[in-house]
Amino acid sequence: MQSRGGLLVFLWRRNGIIQKCFHHHHHYPLSSTTPKSSCFSSCNNLFNLRSYSTSGAAEMNPQLSNDLIKIMENRLSAIEHRNIYLQNFMNQPEASPSEYSRANKELRKIRSSMELITQLRAKQKEIDGLKSLIAECPEDKDMHDMAVEELDEAIEEENRIHNLLLKSLLPKDDADERDCILEVRAGTGGEEASLFAMEIFRMYERYSHKQGWKFEVVDVMESDLKGFKEASGAISGSGSFGRLKFESGTHRVQRVPLTEKAGRVHTSAVTVAILPQADEVDVQLRNEDLKIDTYRSGGSGGQHANTTNSAVRMTHIPTGLTVAIQDERSQHMNKAKALKVICAKLYELERSRLHTSRSKLRSEQIGSGDRSGRIRTYNFPQGRVTDHRVGITHHSIDDVMQGENLDVFIDALLLKQEMDAIASFGVDE
Amino acid sequence: MILNFFPCLIRYSIFTPLPLFFKHQNLLPLSCSINFIKPISSSSSISAKTIQVPLFLKPPIYSTTILELKKFQNWAKSLSLSIGLKFLNLDNGPESNLLCRELNWLLEDVVEGEEDNPTGFLTLGCSENERLVRMRVEMEELYDLWKQRIEERRPFQYIVGCEHWRDLVLSVQEGVLIPRPETELIVDMVEELILKDKEMKQQGVWVDLGTGSGALAIGIGRLLGNEGRVIATDLSPIAASVAAFNVQRYNLQDVVEIRMGSWFEPLDEFKGKIVGLVSNPPYIPSGDIAGLQAEVVRHEPKLALDGGADGLDDLLNICKGAASFLKPGGFFIFETNGAKQSKYLVNFLNIQMEGSFQYVNSVSDFAGIHRFVTGFRK
Ligand SMILES: C[S@@+](CC[C@H](N)C(=O)[O-])C[C@H]1O[C@@H](n2cnc3c(N)ncnc32)[C@H](O)[C@@H]1O
Repeated sequence: MQSRGGLLVFLWRRNGIIQKCFHHHHHYPLSSTTPKSSCFSSCNNLFNLRSYSTSGAAEMNPQLSNDLIKIMENRLSAIEHRNIYLQNFMNQPEASPSEYSRANKELRKIRSSMELITQLRAKQKEIDGLKSLIAECPEDKDMHDMAVEELDEAIEEENRIHNLLLKSLLPKDDADERDCILEVRAGTGGEEASLFAMEIFRMYERYSHKQGWKFEVVDVMESDLKGFKEASGAISGSGSFGRLKFESGTHRVQRVPLTEKAGRVHTSAVTVAILPQADEVDVQLRNEDLKIDTYRSGGSGGQHANTTNSAVRMTHIPTGLTVAIQDERSQHMNKAKALKVICAKLYELERSRLHTSRSKLRSEQIGSGDRSGRIRTYNFPQGRVTDHRVGITHHSIDDVMQGENLDVFIDALLLKQEMDAIASFGVDE
Repeated sequence: MILNFFPCLIRYSIFTPLPLFFKHQNLLPLSCSINFIKPISSSSSISAKTIQVPLFLKPPIYSTTILELKKFQNWAKSLSLSIGLKFLNLDNGPESNLLCRELNWLLEDVVEGEEDNPTGFLTLGCSENERLVRMRVEMEELYDLWKQRIEERRPFQYIVGCEHWRDLVLSVQEGVLIPRPETELIVDMVEELILKDKEMKQQGVWVDLGTGSGALAIGIGRLLGNEGRVIATDLSPIAASVAAFNVQRYNLQDVVEIRMGSWFEPLDEFKGKIVGLVSNPPYIPSGDIAGLQAEVVRHEPKLALDGGADGLDDLLNICKGAASFLKPGGFFIFETNGAKQSKYLVNFLNIQMEGSFQYVNSVSDFAGIHRFVTGFRK
């Protein structure tokens, strides 16, 4: 597959399935000056066309477009320069121990990219050599053919290394591989919002089952009409955080509520938060930072009382975070769940602290930092779901609610993140 | 042997409340007492007559339609809702919300459903009403069970035949105390201790006095692992066989040994050798028993609750025994009725038994009540 003119062919491997995107644009949209809107539409395009394309396991290494390679080259030489600079620095006797160790750390970080770059440079040298060989001896047929064959191989190898490099340069979120906690909260819209919160919660439950993940209800606060005022679930399965993280935000519903007599369409909202799961070690939780109490009505407890109520409330004293869990059948299990949620929340706090202090690259990610942003609308009268970040509309709302076609949005969002990251190669450093 | 006198004794303790004055007397002829200190090797003593299998372990041999189940659910729910705060105001019993949650759990235990969402079918639309589901009890019995829950205040855990305690599901039945959430903390404290001090794990035997359903012994047995050894005692034969059943369900028969007898009586050979001693003995003052919540006073065994005039009879007994049975450095933890008893015991251990113990402390439960007394043999 060759890239010609303005056609960018971009393939990416996700979940073991090769996905292909064709992109027609006169200007390659991934330069630093690209306005955001064009990035959005490009992604739509990429996405829409992808669904028509075929996929094949043999095409492991797509040919990257010249534009993309050019962008990447800039980034690669920046890394090479940095590497040389750091090497030299480390050889200077006057470097202080802390400077030394900082430089060492940075070197370690770029080492795997550097190894690939070294391979790439060797391959490129080989290619140059072969090219001049071909140019020099057009009369020797055998020699010529052999050189062409070798050149083909070398080019393919170069392409393979380019692909590896691209992958290594894309931003990695260490949390992507983690399990996650889902929190759904009814927002504006009273009872109707609670009912929708319940449906959204179930949607993720079904989606999780379809992905082969384990979905465990952590806690539910029901509304009067059996909706959910608040609900949380623990999702375990490899990469569940990475796939669901862009679901965080405000989900808006438009429909005629069950409770509405006059048949008017209402707009309500629920908020979704996806937090990576973490353990006590991740968040350096100390026993003495936790306070656990039961909030049962008075009484002497112990042998005096027989109750099936074993609710516990856990407070993280330094931050004041509290979590109350009541739905498990033993106090121990309620406590374990509360701990899980506290850890996830502390981890998220820590991450958002790092996040804000990190480079632009992260903050430009698809509205992920902004929990309050409206990300998606579920319009029942029109039977559609629209994601406002990628501008995609899906016209079978029932399928989406059944957890069937959520991938339409998720794939597009992940792809958009990658595209944005590539676009930022040019700006970053 | 033991089995021979089991049935009559058990019928006795289930259906006739054990008269309190029997409590500290020898219930059986002396000639039998030798059987008391024989370990109950679990399998031989678990006879179908004595052990009631919890609902969730029964085979799903009955079936009914979703519609019938929904009808039951509606009926049981309105019965629960009609209670409101009545029981709560009466004797600190359960209120409607709690009863409704218990109802869900009952259905979870009784119906063979999907693992993730066992009662999910109850939210299906009418089109599924005629679908059959498999059940572990008959419909009629299900109605009966819920009536017992509301009308007789029979504890939920006796209805379903089990109690979820820590990460365990323990079989319980009339005649055996339902383990309390507060008691879970004893296992947490033991866990903390053996994490810090490996010797506590390897060097000696652990003992649970008055084991009831076996909760503490099993909890600790699982912490100790295959190398560990726990001896659990109880005076009540029904408790002993239920504990043995639970031990076997958790495949701990090589770790936890159940002995029948009064407190330290069956433990002669371990004098000065016990490395850890736990107990949740009866501690309610006799005068308080009549005023307890209906679930407790009407259904749970007095032998498990009544601690004498000030509730301290058994605790004091055990404290005295601890001095001679614990090895130097050995750890103990006892559950008490709260601040008054804890304070008394801390004093008693420090002053009356001066020189025997050190680091004696009282520890609070999650409600902030001084529930436990802990310390080490000097
Ligand atoms: C409060 S219950 C505790 C049961 C269990 N350890 C728990 O925490 O759930 C007290 C237990 O002590 C037992 N018990 C009462 N008197 C006893 C005695 N003299 N010797 C041994 N056990 C006795 C009762 O049968 C009962 O199982």
